[in-house]
Amino acid sequence: MANVKIENVVKRYSNVQVMHGVDVDIEDGEFVVLVGPSGCGKSTLLRMLAGLEEISDGTISIGGRVVNDVIPKDRDIAMVFQSYALYPHKTVFDNIGFPLKMAKQPDSVIKEKVTKAAEVLDLDHLLDRYPKQLSGGQRQRVAMGRAIVRDPQVFLFDEPLSNLDAKLRVTMRVEIKELHQRLGTTIVYVTHDQIEAMTMADKIVVMRDGRVEQIGSPLDLYDHPKNVFVAGFIGSPSMNFVHGTIAVKDGKKVFLSDHGLELPVPENNARTNQAVTYGIRPEHIQVGDQGVPMKVVVVEPTGSETQVFAKSGPELIDALVKDRISAKPGSELCYMIDPANVHLFDRETEQRI
Amino acid sequence: MKKRNPILTTLFWILISLLTLFPIYWLFVISVKPAVQLFSTPDLILNNPYWGNYTEVLGNRLVRSYMINSLIISSGNALLCTVLGFFTCYALSRFDFKGKESIFFWTITNRMAPPAVFLLPLFLLMTQVYRIGEFTLLDTRIGMILVYCTFNLPFAIWTLRPTIDGIPKELDEAAYVDGASPWKVISEIVFPLCRPGLAVTLILTWVFAWNEYLLAATLTNFDARTLTTGLSEYVTTTGTEWGIMATISVFTLIPALIVFGLVQKHIVAGLTFGAVKG
Repeated sequence: MANVKIENVVKRYSNVQVMHGVDVDIEDGEFVVLVGPSGCGKSTLLRMLAGLEEISDGTISIGGRVVNDVIPKDRDIAMVFQSYALYPHKTVFDNIGFPLKMAKQPDSVIKEKVTKAAEVLDLDHLLDRYPKQLSGGQRQRVAMGRAIVRDPQVFLFDEPLSNLDAKLRVTMRVEIKELHQRLGTTIVYVTHDQIEAMTMADKIVVMRDGRVEQIGSPLDLYDHPKNVFVAGFIGSPSMNFVHGTIAVKDGKKVFLSDHGLELPVPENNARTNQAVTYGIRPEHIQVGDQGVPMKVVVVEPTGSETQVFAKSGPELIDALVKDRISAKPGSELCYMIDPANVHLFDRETEQRI
Repeated sequence: MKKRNPILTTLFWILISLLTLFPIYWLFVISVKPAVQLFSTPDLILNNPYWGNYTEVLGNRLVRSYMINSLIISSGNALLCTVLGFFTCYALSRFDFKGKESIFFWTITNRMAPPAVFLLPLFLLMTQVYRIGEFTLLDTRIGMILVYCTFNLPFAIWTLRPTIDGIPKELDEAAYVDGASPWKVISEIVFPLCRPGLAVTLILTWVFAWNEYLLAATLTNFDARTLTTGLSEYVTTTGTEWGIMATISVFTLIPALIVFGLVQKHIVAGLTFGAVKG
């Protein structure tokens, strides 16, 4: 186990800079998820951690040792790839045992460790098979077996669940989390799926265009997003955003959208007449007879909850409610918003007010 | 879609196979006939085969040495081209360097030109440039092995490039992270996965060198003379020894058939390898 320190890391490909001074501190034994849209640099950062990409500037240290110029095999890390990267010509046993073979461990030790890892991952009956004879989930577990058998200081996961179907993804998510709890090894995990990030991480690093947008615990990011991007990225369904200004009505601050929709706001630092972006999560809107009148556009029942898309003028706002709603498209209902759940962002800087 | 009649299809392919195999059969028929019978009315069915040509050819020290030369030159050349081609393609596939694609294209253009174009320059190189005292590469096995590289190495690079490109780079990276050295990545991961492609390259370069006539006829005299050039010695001013030529031709075909049969499985796999990422 080790802590990982990423300091002012920059990555350039000839003249193009793709990483702009990234700083991340990862504590010993922490489960950190790097999350962001495609092309945000999360995988590049992970590959730099693994030593598969060179660092143009800055330092990366693992367990207090700067590893900028250390080759992958000497970094004491293990990595699980998106495509699993299993060796197709080797059996499950040989795949899992490969790192030990490379470390010139005696056959008896290899056998013992592989068998143990296989038991942990419920692969003991598949050791003689080849990767092509395995299902997606089994391949995924072999890739994890190959990683844990080395007992590394840090595990790196590069979108390991993105090739699995939705159901298996949930199972594997639990398995990885459980594995972390059991081994206690530091994990750096890359994903573009914010649900994965929220459910697995001790700490989430949200990235965009080669920059860190915010670092924090899942709930911290959910409750206090630093800017519009993080607010929109974290949470499913996404937060609703309405552009407008802060106005005063009957001596009370309210939000007035560009198209005249009036919404309640919390008491905070927002100035009167300040141009703002109003954010409210769908699950924080209640549907009823009182509040902001809206016209229903679409109703999506999922059984456990119902998502309502409704309009007021051109503003489309969706709400997620636990109740089953009988509203039909075209009918009217009201949105009730608790000002405590409202997020206000400066319209120009997009930063939280 | 209209279903094809299986009987008609089978008959069609039997006919095509017969057409293809007939010249080989006829070659064999000629090789087991004495000279006097060769120009009588052709007989499709083989009666009382005459093995005299075979005993004569097998007893001929020269033909035996031609065969050994052919075997050494084509095997040496195929091995050299496959090994060099493998490492070249690995570098072209895995490393980024300036002019990479130009090097690839420039190399394979060698294969485009007719071999005759290179005859004079190769002759001069072998006799004048690459010489140490009295030793020249002309009429040596090593000389012929190197000469065939001119054509076979580009071919090897051409066939092996898609094979290595087809092996996901992530496998190399996974192996590096797993603690493998670059050499181990090649020997443990890339090489075993390239086997079908390597088999195809080995056999096709071998067949080219085995069958080649023009360069061998020009750049060898006696010591490194190959089987194909040996054939022409039986066209003499007093006549052509068809029976002997046919027998030598049969001997020329046999090793190719054996090697082809052995790696046929790999060839089929190799020709489709890399087409679809699995």
